[in-house]
Amino acid sequence: MADQKTVHFIIERQDTPDSKPYTEEFLVPYRPALNVVAALMEIQKKPVTKDGKKTTPVVWECNCLEKVCGACMMVINGKARQACATLVDQISQPIRLAPARTFPVIRDLQIDRSVMFESLKRIQGWVEVDGSWEVNTAPIQDPNVAATAYEISHCMTCGCCLEACPNVGPQSDFIGPAPTVQSYLFNLNPLGKFDKEKRLNALMEKGGITSCGNSQNCVEVCPKDIKLTTYLAQLNRDVNKQALKNIFNK
Amino acid sequence: MFNVTFYIRRLHSICGIVPMGLFLLEHILTNAEAIGGPAAFNEAIGRIALIPHDIMLVIEIFGLAIPFLFHMLYGLYITLQAKNNPAQYGYVRNWQFALQRWTAIFLFVFLIIHVVDLRIFTKGGGTPISYELLDQMFNNAGWFIFYLVGMIAAIFHFCNGVTTLCMTWGIAKGPRIQTFISRVMMLVCLLLSLVTIAFMISYKMH
Ligand code: HEM
Ligand code: SF4
Ligand code: SF4
Ligand code: FES
Repeated sequence: MADQKTVHFIIERQDTPDSKPYTEEFLVPYRPALNVVAALMEIQKKPVTKDGKKTTPVVWECNCLEKVCGACMMVINGKARQACATLVDQISQPIRLAPARTFPVIRDLQIDRSVMFESLKRIQGWVEVDGSWEVNTAPIQDPNVAATAYEISHCMTCGCCLEACPNVGPQSDFIGPAPTVQSYLFNLNPLGKFDKEKRLNALMEKGGITSCGNSQNCVEVCPKDIKLTTYLAQLNRDVNKQALKNIFNK
Repeated sequence: MFNVTFYIRRLHSICGIVPMGLFLLEHILTNAEAIGGPAAFNEAIGRIALIPHDIMLVIEIFGLAIPFLFHMLYGLYITLQAKNNPAQYGYVRNWQFALQRWTAIFLFVFLIIHVVDLRIFTKGGGTPISYELLDQMFNNAGWFIFYLVGMIAAIFHFCNGVTTLCMTWGIAKGPRIQTFISRVMMLVCLLLSLVTIAFMISYKMH
């Protein structure tokens, strides 16, 4: 092991949702194109700390291993990222891993992101009546709109944007950028747009879009490069119009 | 129900411009008269004093005190909703976001001390505000720095506020126009800060 190149990890751990966090350090054998999930797998195989002490394997979540499912989000060297898409070669060492504490921690790096699902229910993140059509009978959609919808549909509810957003956390009831912007996706849908009013009114409630303070961290960290701030601004326009309708149409 | 949060939040945003932003600009212009010396400054104050007292009092209470207090108190509540993280996410906009909140907390204290001292105790107590009075106050280095920092904090907060307001209302949608407005407003911030530094230092020169 002496002349084997290693990667130094400092990991913030926590045994139960309520217990005190502590750190443990690990040395993982280096190999080209090693990513953070692969390194965690090495630790799982041989859970021995840097000082040679035997410990429990570090717990984390992952699934797709190709930046599609969103499960492996954690704080890597201070920033929210997908562990499977973070190459060891591209970041500085020692590599510090911590759970995304915007969400409740279950154990070690594993967090409970179900709050985002609840938020999607709040903004009605679905289309009420869907169907399938023959190509020639489907509702016509502007290809530019379809391209925007496609972009927003890439969201994998990883939660990077919520972790980076200064206005999301236990101190605030903001549902966060991802669920907010998802409402725009469903408002663009040829059938989803019939519930636009419902969604916009939900966004005007406490914890909705008005809780955004324009720090723009979300758009910087989104691993799917969704232009979140652009759609937030569009939704701000839309809720303004909806407010005028609420006042003058009823 | 009734989207109360939405309307309060938009009202908070409008208050930042009218009356608060306009008042800040007026305040800077009037105070800049100090550059012309005691006579010019006292004359500028005299012009404002031409507004009849009863009308002025109504303007002060409904046009200034109430909107200011609303923006300040609700702003404090907004400030408490944020966990500032520019050390982790050091992007320009995130620093501006944090500074918007840090200046807000400082301004909260500054404005209360400023208004209670000069408007309520001094002017309310019968002593008119004059160049000489301010000059004497600024002789104390502590007050001088307190006021200089207060002014620059207010200018930054207002200018960055115009930038965020354009996002909050969906006026500027894409990154190009948002960055453009931000740069223009930071230039205005620099300009107004220089004017402020100039009239503050002029007290030491005359
Ligand atoms: C000189 C006095 C002040 C002026 C001219 C001013 C002006 C503004 C403006 C124009 C905005 C932008 C609103 C928007 O983004 O929609 C703003 C935002 C804000 N102000 Fe003030 N303000 C002043 C004092 C204060 C004070 C004393 C506080 C709090 C204690 C405060 C707290 C805030 C907060 C937290 C925001 C951010 C709101 C948001 O992002 O939604 N302001 N202010
Ligand atoms: S722009 Fe709004 S939603 Fe995005 S990180 Fe900032 S406060 Fe959060
Ligand atoms: S918007 Fe981007 S950062 Fe936010 S949850 Fe979706 S994919 Fe992740
Ligand atoms: S494991 Fe699916 S995004 Fe990383």
